Amino acid sequence: MIYLDAGTTYSKLITVDEEFDSNYLVKQESNKNYYIIPSSEINKRTINIKKACGHMANADENEIIALANGCKSYIDSDATILDLGSRDAKWIRFKNNKFHDMDWNTSCASSTGATVEMLLKFYNLKREDLEFNDDKFAVTCGIFGLEKIMDDIANGSDAKSAIAKFVHGIAYNAWSFAKKPKKIYLSGGFCENKCFVDSLKNYCSVITLGRFILCEGLINSDKELLHV
Amino acid sequence: MQTIGFWGYPHPKLIEETKKEYPNAEWIDLDIDFEYPDKNILPESYCKIIKNVINNTVALNPIKILAPIGKDKCDSGWFAAQLLKDMGYNVVESIFEEKTYKKEIKISTSNLPLYDKITQITANIVEDNTDISPYTQCEAKFGFWGVPPNDLEILRLFPNETHVYGWTRCVEAGTPADIELEMYIDEDVPTVFYSQAFCSKAQLAKYLADKYNGLYIDIDDYANNSIRAKIEAFLRLR
Repeated sequence: MIYLDAGTTYSKLITVDEEFDSNYLVKQESNKNYYIIPSSEINKRTINIKKACGHMANADENEIIALANGCKSYIDSDATILDLGSRDAKWIRFKNNKFHDMDWNTSCASSTGATVEMLLKFYNLKREDLEFNDDKFAVTCGIFGLEKIMDDIANGSDAKSAIAKFVHGIAYNAWSFAKKPKKIYLSGGFCENKCFVDSLKNYCSVITLGRFILCEGLINSDKELLHV
Repeated sequence: MQTIGFWGYPHPKLIEETKKEYPNAEWIDLDIDFEYPDKNILPESYCKIIKNVINNTVALNPIKILAPIGKDKCDSGWFAAQLLKDMGYNVVESIFEEKTYKKEIKISTSNLPLYDKITQITANIVEDNTDISPYTQCEAKFGFWGVPPNDLEILRLFPNETHVYGWTRCVEAGTPADIELEMYIDEDVPTVFYSQAFCSKAQLAKYLADKYNGLYIDIDDYANNSIRAKIEAFLRLR
């Protein structure tokens, strides 16, 4: 059985009791295999999906529901979980193990992962090159943020630190967007961006959950599987 | 056919007088999006309902416009009235802030589909229509607070056991400027607080959503898939 979280840039896929393309395998746990594959590649293939969510899939599950169902085994009874992906940001809060609050910045991609990826490509940098920078750009709108990066570089700053300030701005926005909690469980591609995680740690404690939480939520919500 | 345009909830006396003056006229709620072309009279980023008022007026050329400008509508209604007057339309300003026309609230708390509740409440502004599907009162599972949205289709996401709050409830009560009723909430009912983007009622919607742990949403013209998913998630997780 295959469970797919088809993001704008990358798709996360978990197979249960079967295998997919080993070129994209990132880890194995008991009968589950975890894959990350460019979404453009997913669209070229015929895959028999058991359940899917995400912008690029014919989704049969809501991403917030998938996030809620996927995170429960990793979190405290009172917790804020933030999923920050390529295109959007969403968070959910539990209080006494019950759903309490949520939000989803629905369509503005300008301050999320896709922008950072484009910036890194444009300036020929790797994610690992970025280091936390105390300064941050106000990036309420990513387009204005891009302008600040260009100004910063024009004023003598190097691209690495300019992008790090931009990433710091995104982290601050994400924390504010999630209503400034003391602790955030972080899900999504930004878990692998140390500069982002360090920037977020400037405001709250951070526990990274990785990129497969929504996929795991699909599995957890699949009652048929749970009954097996 | 002669057309009378109106927005919001014009004063009942004014409605009755106009009906007598134009007994055969067709009444058009100018708030509604009939998808007439945008005449670019208002800024691009502006309340879609007020843009509807202006664009519908230009497209339909009503013989008379009943134009609420008081606390029963909004400042934008007041400005729209001035614009339309200046453009040569026959605008009659209306202020309906008293509570003497109070009516029983029964559609807002009924088991009708939310879409039917809200369209029926607004339709009743001009003509009390008793010819609607039979309904009974029901206990609220969810609440919808706000004005009738430009995108009425989002109302179909809600279960029938959704009660109506906010300005729309005030309209049913015949008191569109009753701020106490507009801010009234059943605390235990998980409620979606809706605001039209660029509407000053967003102030109330956000405040009340925070206060009562509801979901605040604002939509400009039509809801995208993510907004729909957000509402759906709230309804399923609460």
